[in-house]
Amino acid sequence: MMPIWTKSGKKHAVTLLKVQDCHVLKYISKEESGGKTAKLLVGGKNGSPFFKSESAMEIFREAGVPRKQKISIFNVTDDALVKPGTPLYAAHFRPGQFVDVTAKTIGKGFQGVMKRWGFKGQPASHGQTKTHRRPGAISTNKASKVYRGKKMPGKMGNIYRTALGLKVWRINTKHDIIYVNGSVPGHTNCLVKIRDSKLPTYKDCNKNPPFPTFFADGDEKLPEDLYDEEVFQFTDPSVTYT
Amino acid sequence: CRTSSDGKPTEFQPPPKPIIIDKLKQIEERRFLSPEFVPPRGRTDPLKFYIERKDMIQRRKVFNIPEFYVGHILAVTTADLYAKDKVNRFVGICIQRGGKGLGATFVLRNVIEDQGVEICYELYNPRIQAIEVLKLEKRLDDHLLYLRDALPEYSTVDVNMKPETHLENDEIPVNKLQVRMKPKPWSKRWERPKYNIKGIKFELPEKTMEEAKKWRQPWLEFDMLREYDTSKIEEKIWKEVNEELKK
Repeated sequence: MMPIWTKSGKKHAVTLLKVQDCHVLKYISKEESGGKTAKLLVGGKNGSPFFKSESAMEIFREAGVPRKQKISIFNVTDDALVKPGTPLYAAHFRPGQFVDVTAKTIGKGFQGVMKRWGFKGQPASHGQTKTHRRPGAISTNKASKVYRGKKMPGKMGNIYRTALGLKVWRINTKHDIIYVNGSVPGHTNCLVKIRDSKLPTYKDCNKNPPFPTFFADGDEKLPEDLYDEEVFQFTDPSVTYT
Repeated sequence: CRTSSDGKPTEFQPPPKPIIIDKLKQIEERRFLSPEFVPPRGRTDPLKFYIERKDMIQRRKVFNIPEFYVGHILAVTTADLYAKDKVNRFVGICIQRGGKGLGATFVLRNVIEDQGVEICYELYNPRIQAIEVLKLEKRLDDHLLYLRDALPEYSTVDVNMKPETHLENDEIPVNKLQVRMKPKPWSKRWERPKYNIKGIKFELPEKTMEEAKKWRQPWLEFDMLREYDTSKIEEKIWKEVNEELKK
């Protein structure tokens, strides 16, 4: 995470996400998947091809791509389909876009009710007998049962969570890095799924994105760094107010 | 002309040659790498530090950040929306330098009209217009947080001080000042060996000093897991930064 300053002098915290060897693996049609749109399987970081069953390796062999550590599914409309085997780059996103980031949160193990659900617990003194971090009452008398989904101690973390509506401030095309506003679920160097935001406020935010995706061998030559219009670039002189 | 005791004229003795000490050549170039360039110990990808360093060097090319340590007296001018002339100038002693990478900060302390004021500035904030070093002097400690509990005369700095000049490759003088403290209670127990403060003149009774030694942890210096040798990393980064800045 790094600080980034705007031209008005405000500071924002930014997370760096690297696009490492991403390839489109498979196309699943609307009828096959049974959903409303077609699906595209995309694979992430390269991994070792050993110690995996043949059925899992089939997908990678058909696409002609080394084995990937993370596979995620994207719902895609028919006009945005990409041929399996094409590499995906960070320039697929542009600064000024809004993005949702999904990842597995940091696992905290078996945790009590105060840390997991934020219960208040009991006072430390004034006669409390062996009760300082317990949940207290779990149901009423009339219910005469405990409702399903009652907040109780258990394993915390290591589940998929999404951070919605994060702004993309800057993109580095040379190293394939996306600078995303705010914090992102997951530990450092964990694998993450980035998707165009589905929030209704950001529906019309993408003006001329690379469609269906950014092809590196195409005619477009992008500069090494793409900045949002409000970002203060370090080549400019210091900010002054008039 | 002078004659010796014999009466014969003495031979002409040429005067001894003057010894020229070329100070510029003798003194080795002092290597200073700002502490925020050194990456902290952790499991982050070194690529992230490389990219952050590129940004930091880019900023240093446009705006000069001078070499300074804890104990120097600095004057910082920032752009402030709500100040007269939109510019704010603050003079103070640098108490501590924290943070790594682009978020590196330094805290300046001064006593203005009997009120102690500390301001934490970010080195790479684009709002900073100028950083001038008014007085160069290192102190005995890494941080001067104990100035909060010292007599206010040790934290007062004249706001209209003129900058002192110094040579490029001179050694930075170390001020071995022993600071006198206000009566206890202090914000932290500075006499304890954990803080390892050498710049305070402890006027406490011997009993307190003996009791403070109870918290000594003599095994800490032998702990191998705490060792973080940065000499090689610093050398590499210093070369990289110098090459980029000369371009």
